[in-house]
Amino acid sequence: MQSVKTGLFGFLFSPSTDTWLAILRIGLGLEVTLYSLSLRSDWISLLSGTARKAAEALLSLESHFVPRLGWFVASAAQVSVHEEAVLSMAWACLLGVGCGLLVGVASRFSAISAWLLHLCVAKSGGFVSYGMDNFLTIGLFYLMLSPLPDRYSLDWRLRKSQPKNPQLLGFWRRVLQLHLCIIYFFSGLTKCFGRGWWDGSNVWRSLIRPPFNAINPEILVTWKYLFPLAGILICLLEFGYPFFIWSTRTRKIWLLSVCAMHVVIAVAMGMYLFSLIMIVLNVAAFGPNLIRTEHARISFRPHEIIL
Amino acid sequence: MAEGPTVLPVLFKNFSQKAETALSTRIGQKLPASNPVREALNTYVQLAGIEIGYGYFAPNVPAGYRLLFELHYPDGGVEYELPSVSSAAAGLRIAGLLDSIGRTPYDALREILVKTLAQAIWREHPDLESVRAILESIRLPTAREFTEGKRQSYEFLYAYDFNLENAPAKTNHH
Repeated sequence: MQSVKTGLFGFLFSPSTDTWLAILRIGLGLEVTLYSLSLRSDWISLLSGTARKAAEALLSLESHFVPRLGWFVASAAQVSVHEEAVLSMAWACLLGVGCGLLVGVASRFSAISAWLLHLCVAKSGGFVSYGMDNFLTIGLFYLMLSPLPDRYSLDWRLRKSQPKNPQLLGFWRRVLQLHLCIIYFFSGLTKCFGRGWWDGSNVWRSLIRPPFNAINPEILVTWKYLFPLAGILICLLEFGYPFFIWSTRTRKIWLLSVCAMHVVIAVAMGMYLFSLIMIVLNVAAFGPNLIRTEHARISFRPHEIIL
Repeated sequence: MAEGPTVLPVLFKNFSQKAETALSTRIGQKLPASNPVREALNTYVQLAGIEIGYGYFAPNVPAGYRLLFELHYPDGGVEYELPSVSSAAAGLRIAGLLDSIGRTPYDALREILVKTLAQAIWREHPDLESVRAILESIRLPTAREFTEGKRQSYEFLYAYDFNLENAPAKTNHH
């Protein structure tokens, strides 16, 4: 029993550098910035009026304590500030904290603000949210709780911060790794149960379904013999993720394949922000080890020769 | 799995339904809405972004929906328009909204959401006499059907008429 406890502790609190945290911070900063810029012209129309109120009313059935834009709108109304002004301010703040994360200024404050503001937007715009919003919430939630700032941030240089506890850094990285394994495992498992992923028809349907039809179906149909292979590969990559991502032998190929899959989703389905967040989470969770291994192999070789 | 068609036998569907019920009970979803334990759990999962499952496009890719607006002008002219946004990123979100409209089992909620989009159309065309919003499900052709010349088609689901007061006057569906 004691050895199980020790093993579990060792697994969860395995020491780590803050490279993964820097990747997560910069990646999420870029994501939040692009997210804000991409919705600039439709921000007010997507988040104002009846649809927002209906989404917030439904949210209240779940919980009264989840942050939402309605709180700010109601407070601002007390001092005669219009809904549109509040939404514009929220947009500007989200863009600001996105840039803050990107360069690492006031990292902790930026991470908490980005999580809070994005959560408000995602919940109040519940009817216009999709998977990308959930993954961004997940990423920002972990970033906010992780030991910031990292040594690549501007904060580190300006404040001359001390290195953070490597075990705590390792713990939050492990949580992100485990969460990704759960995400891909269940995504792959549920796909395996659909006949359409084995015969390729779901690949075809997902690529021609509006608004994901970024490629002309006339061109797509010429590749129809590849769809069953693509469908099986997607199932294999996702379902096999928790089994092949941990081993140093298969990690590189699995990580690269998953990232390549998300690049294809971005290009073929126009889901650029969704793909970016998935790549950021994957590279932050499992990328740094690969780079470190390469460095170690190169730097230790001369010592081995000398010995 | 408990709801949709899969390659698994019916027996597994029954098991999934039982498992879903057991899990719902375990995570407090069977408790009254006002129960503090349920509310605390719901708050946490919403804050962490883990309130939904991860079965995107699984087990199968669902059908999409189209909302077509029939714009009626005082001179008898009729025009057709789809909900429009300025960017592709917002377009993905409108598609999500149309999915919510198409899938919700609540007529009142569907009507509210359709009305929201109709009001946006009305703001762009203030001289309209009435607007009919037609919700259709999109039927996608298979790759083989596509090579045979078949293209995506639409199946009528609901229609909502909005008059000058912007109030839904009549609802038709089948």
